[in-house]
Amino acid sequence: MLSGEELGIVVLSLEVALASVAASLPFAIGVAWLLARRDFPGKTALDALVHLPLVLPPVVVGYLLLVVLGRGGVLGPALASMGIVFAFRWTGAALAAAVMSFPLVVRAVRLSMEAIDPRIEAAGRTLGARPWRVFATLTLPLAWPGIVTGALLGFARSLGEFGATITFVASIPGETETLPLAIYAYTQVPGAEGHALRLSILSVILSLAALAVSEWLVRRRPGAARHA
Amino acid sequence: MAGAWRAAGHAAPRIAYGASSALARQADAGAPAELFLSADLDWIDWLAQRRRLSGPPVRLLANDLVLVAPAASQAQVRIAPGVDLVRALAGGRLAVADPRAVPAGRYARAALESLGAWKAVEPHLAPAADVRGALALVARGEAPLGIVYRTDALAEPRVRVVAAFPESSHPPIVYGMALLSGSGADARAFAAYAASPPARTLWARHGFRFP
Repeated sequence: MLSGEELGIVVLSLEVALASVAASLPFAIGVAWLLARRDFPGKTALDALVHLPLVLPPVVVGYLLLVVLGRGGVLGPALASMGIVFAFRWTGAALAAAVMSFPLVVRAVRLSMEAIDPRIEAAGRTLGARPWRVFATLTLPLAWPGIVTGALLGFARSLGEFGATITFVASIPGETETLPLAIYAYTQVPGAEGHALRLSILSVILSLAALAVSEWLVRRRPGAARHA
Repeated sequence: MAGAWRAAGHAAPRIAYGASSALARQADAGAPAELFLSADLDWIDWLAQRRRLSGPPVRLLANDLVLVAPAASQAQVRIAPGVDLVRALAGGRLAVADPRAVPAGRYARAALESLGAWKAVEPHLAPAADVRGALALVARGEAPLGIVYRTDALAEPRVRVVAAFPESSHPPIVYGMALLSGSGADARAFAAYAASPPARTLWARHGFRFP
């Protein structure tokens, strides 16, 4: 059914998208909490910075990543001396996807945190719970639908990432060539539309599967299961 | 070229840049274009078959394929049959336009195949979305070597031409020009100017040759 090459592209795309979500979710939850529950100088600036990848052309994000994290970039050489190299690696594709999807994840998590009645958290505190405990046992479970939605949005955005990825880490088969990059390459080859179509159908299936998984996760939220 | 044309007292042409395939399809779909300049003669032929041209196409310019390195690089490579590019890369990657999709990449692949170097270097490629993308990877030092057109190499001060690929190693890189049906007097005059001796001086300054 699937050729070895197609299977490789799908597996790589899933790895990149999962790594992207896994890497960005903890930061996104932290930033969402800061934006939803705290007031501090520079909050507007942080909000704007978080949203930047959403409003910038992806190619610009890819280029900025190259300028900052490339071999000849601002931080690239220092990171390379610690053994961290993104250029032309799948980790670079995951990073590009994580940066591009970060604002979507933050927005989803933040909305669901803002929807929590602050009096619930206040009640937790008056009952003697430390801030961390309030966050872990009240805020996080109550924000669960938003976290799952954010993770799904991030996953879908990562699966579809094109511009930042091809600019930052090129389109190397087996390393950084994810589904959209492969589909794009095939559409440029006369007579390869069939390949492009097969891969397009695959990405539809993957997206629908991700949607189904997230629905299932939202329904069996922690807490809901406990009280059932 | 458009600047020189305007400096000579004519109305500035309106230029639409894009991939040959996209532009040809747009012209065929009725986009108001009068002159088509393409790095891919196949797309001019494609328009001719669809009777979209109002005159015979002209082979206007030729280009070469060169191996480039970052300006500060000491890399020395002599391009000859069996050239060992993998060793010259020293663990890095060779930046090229995507050999499956982009004409510059297809020429690069043809050149490397004719030199017997393709099989070895294929796993070490960094395929970019277009030839300028490959150029940027070399200019920024991400890739120690890259294959681009000579005109691209001349346009980027941060890269240095290491060697040129022999003309015989790849299909000729020729840019064609054709007037599209419905073109007016201005378009015909501009087309004539683009092929005139003063224009040729300008083309040559940017690294183009003439077929």
